[in-house]
Amino acid sequence: MDTQTVTKKALLFDSTLCIGCGACYDGCKERNKLPKSSANFLRDNLSADTFTVVNRRNNRYVRRMCMHCNEPTCVSVCPVGALVKSPEGPVSYEASKCMGCRYCVQACPFSVPQYEWDDPITPRVRKCDLCRDRIAAGLATACATVCPTGATKFGNRDELIAEAESRIRNNPGRYVNHVYGVAEVGGTSVLLLSDVPFETLGYKTDLLEQPLPHLTWNVLHKLPTVVSIGGVLMSGIWWITKRREDVKKAELEANSPEREANSPKKGTE
Amino acid sequence: MSKLGLRLPRITFWRVILVAILAAGLYTTFLRFTKGLGATTNLSAQFPWGIWIGFDVLCGVALAAGGFTISAVVYIFHIEKYRPIVRPAILTAFLGYSLVVVGLMFDLGRPYNIWHPLIMWNPHSVMFEVGWCVTLYTTVLMLEFSPLVLEKLPWQRPYKIVKSITIPLVILGVLLSTMHQSSLGTLYLIVPHKLHPLWYSPLLPVFFFTSAIALGCAMTIFESYLSLRAFRKHLDFHLLTKLGGVAAVTLSVYFAIRITDMQSRGVLSMAFGPTYEGRMFLAEMLLGVIAPVIMLFIPRIRNNQFGLFMAALMVVLGFVMNRINVAITGLDRSSGVHYFPSWTELAVTGSIVAAGFVMFGLAVKYLNVFPPEDMKDIAQGKRAELPALVAFKQPLWSATTLALVMTMIFMLASVALSYDGIRRRPVHTPLPEGSGTVDVSKGLANLKMPGDLAIKMGKTSPGLCMFSHARHVDKKNPNCNTCHSGLFRMLPTTPDITADRKMRNCGQCHDGVKAVGILQKDRCDSCHARKAS
Repeated sequence: MDTQTVTKKALLFDSTLCIGCGACYDGCKERNKLPKSSANFLRDNLSADTFTVVNRRNNRYVRRMCMHCNEPTCVSVCPVGALVKSPEGPVSYEASKCMGCRYCVQACPFSVPQYEWDDPITPRVRKCDLCRDRIAAGLATACATVCPTGATKFGNRDELIAEAESRIRNNPGRYVNHVYGVAEVGGTSVLLLSDVPFETLGYKTDLLEQPLPHLTWNVLHKLPTVVSIGGVLMSGIWWITKRREDVKKAELEANSPEREANSPKKGTE
Repeated sequence: MSKLGLRLPRITFWRVILVAILAAGLYTTFLRFTKGLGATTNLSAQFPWGIWIGFDVLCGVALAAGGFTISAVVYIFHIEKYRPIVRPAILTAFLGYSLVVVGLMFDLGRPYNIWHPLIMWNPHSVMFEVGWCVTLYTTVLMLEFSPLVLEKLPWQRPYKIVKSITIPLVILGVLLSTMHQSSLGTLYLIVPHKLHPLWYSPLLPVFFFTSAIALGCAMTIFESYLSLRAFRKHLDFHLLTKLGGVAAVTLSVYFAIRITDMQSRGVLSMAFGPTYEGRMFLAEMLLGVIAPVIMLFIPRIRNNQFGLFMAALMVVLGFVMNRINVAITGLDRSSGVHYFPSWTELAVTGSIVAAGFVMFGLAVKYLNVFPPEDMKDIAQGKRAELPALVAFKQPLWSATTLALVMTMIFMLASVALSYDGIRRRPVHTPLPEGSGTVDVSKGLANLKMPGDLAIKMGKTSPGLCMFSHARHVDKKNPNCNTCHSGLFRMLPTTPDITADRKMRNCGQCHDGVKAVGILQKDRCDSCHARKAS
C-alpha cells in the first residue's frame, strides 16, 4: 500500500453500451502509431500491431486489451524487470532491458502480451500500456477519449468501481451482478460490465482471486533458507565422513603399519 | 588397426546422419538470425515456448543431475566406490549445461541480453533464479571439469588451485543444481489456469528434482554403454547395477508422491479418461516409470548389462516425455492452438544433441574421462573376458539392441501419432459471435459525436469547408474505421483539421461515384463556403 498517495487509474468497459464502431481500436492504433492489421477490425486479434480489439461475442461487442493487474503476473515473472507497474496503474514495457525469454507471454492469465515474431534481432513484447504518457499528462487514455458512447470510461479506480456497482444497482436486471476485474487475480485496472455471463464474452471466470505471483513467491522466498541450511548440512556431512575416514585410516596405520604397503586403502584420483 | 577397420563402416553411416543433421541446423541458424523466430518456429503468442524450452532446456539441465548426484555421493558422503563415475557424470553435466546455453541462444529473442539478469534484478521472478543458476552452475561445472583438461597441460599450478577448491565447488554445485532442477518446475507454478491438472501441481518443483536424480543415474548407465560400444571404454559393471538400483528407488519415491498428490487433488481419474492428455500421461507413467522400475527391481534384469541398459534408456525416454508433457502437451488444450515443432526447430534440437554426442566422444578420446586402469585392462584384453562384454560384441546382440530401441521409438512414436488424431479433436472452437444482430440501442442512445470541424483553408480554396460528423456517420451503424485512423487523425491536438490541398483524403469517398465529387466540374459549393448543418 505504498501507492496510497497516487490515485490508481482504471478503465470501465460497459459492453451493453458498446456499438462496435471501432473508435477505440483506431484511436489506439493512432496513439501507438501501429500499422493497419486487418481488413475488418471486428475480426482482428491482439497482435504485435494491435493492442486492443473489439470483437463480436455472443451478440455483444466486447473489448480485449491488457487488464493492468494490481499485482501483474508479467511484472513478477520478468527476470530483468523490463515490465513495470506504475503506481497510477499502467503496466509498461522497456525493450532495452528485455532478453526475449517470453515468460510474460507464457504466464499472463489473460494471454495478452504479444511478440514480434518476425524480428530476428530486436523483437519486442507488445501490449497496451494504458497510455502511460497521456495519464502522466493528465489526459484520459486514447480509447476512452474517442469512445462516442461512453462504453469505455476512464477514471479513478475506486470511483469507477463505485460507479459500476451503482449502474448494476440502478438498472435491475440489466447487468450480470458482477464487476469483472475487482477481484480477479487480485484485481485489475480494467473493469468490465456485461449483461451476459463473462465467459460467453471470452473472459475467463475460473481465475483465482489470489494474485498469481504469490504461487511462485511461496516457493522462491524459501530459497535463502534452503540454501543456507543445505550448505551447512553438506559441509557438516563432508566433515563427519572425512573425519570418520581419517580415523579409520589412522587406526589402520597404528594397528598394522607393516602391512600398509600391501593393502593400499584407496586409489589415486 | 584391425579394431579401427571393424569400426569404420558404422561410424561412416552415423557420420552421414550427423552431417545431415548439422547442415539442417546450420541452415536453421541462418534462418533464425535473418528472418526471426516467426519464420523458424511454430511458436505464437498462444504458444510462446516450444521444443527448444521443453527439450533443450528442461532436459539439458536435467543431464546435469548425474553430475551433482554422483559428486555429492563421492565428495560429500565419501562413498569412494563411485569415484570412477564422477568424471563422466561431470562431463555430461557440463555438456548438458553448455547445450542449454546454446539452445537459449536460439530461443531468446534478444540473446545478446542473456547477461541482463545478472545486473537487472527481479528476485520475484523464477526466470531470474533460473538465469543465475545457469550462469553460476555452468561456471562451477567448468571448474569441476577443468582438471581433466588442466592435467594434460604442462603447468601444474592452475590444476592444483582448482583441486584445492573442489569441496566448496561441489557443495556450491549441489546447491545450485538442486535449486535449478526444482526451479524449472517452479517456472510452471505461475500457469495454474493453463497447464493441465494431470501435470500442474504445487509440488512441481519436487517432481522435477526427484525425477532429475533418477535421470542422472540412468544417464550415467546409458553413456557408459555407449562409450563401451564406441570406444571400448566402460565402467565397472557392478557400480552401474547399484546405480540402477538407486534410480529404481528414486523413481518409486517419485511415483508415490505423484500419485498421492494427484489423488489428493482429485485428478487421478483424469488419467484414465479418453483424452489426449490422459493417454500421454499413461504412456509417460507406464513406459517411463512403472516399466523400468519393475525391470530394475528384478535382479536378473538389473544384473544383465543389456537389461540394465534398456531400463536406463526407458527412464531417459520417460523423463524426456514428462518434460515435453509439462512444456507442450499439458498446455495444448488451454492455448487453443496445436503446437507441433517445425522441422527447423527439430533440426536445431537435433544438431545440439548431435554436437553433445560428438563432444562427449572427443572428451572420452582425448581426456581421462574414464579411469585409466580400466582402459589399460581393456587394451590388454583382460576385461573382454567378462561374459557380458563378450555378449555385447556379438552381432546378434547388437541387432537385438537395435530392434528393441526401434520398438521403443515406435511405441513412443505411436503415442505421438495419437497427437494427430487429437489435432482433429473439436476443442477450443473460437467463441461464437452469435447469429443475430447486436442490440446497440442503449449505446446509440448515448452516442455523442464530435461537433463540426473547420478544415483549414489553403490559398486556392474556394471557401471554408466545415466537416460535420453528424452528416457523415450512419447513425444506425456507426463505423469510425472507414475514415479513422487511416485518412484522418482521431486524437487531434487542434480543434480544426489541417489543410488538405488536393482534397485527397476527402476524395477517397468524394469521387463522384460514392459521393459528390471533388473535381471542378462538380459543385464546389456542395461543401465549401456552405454552412454545415
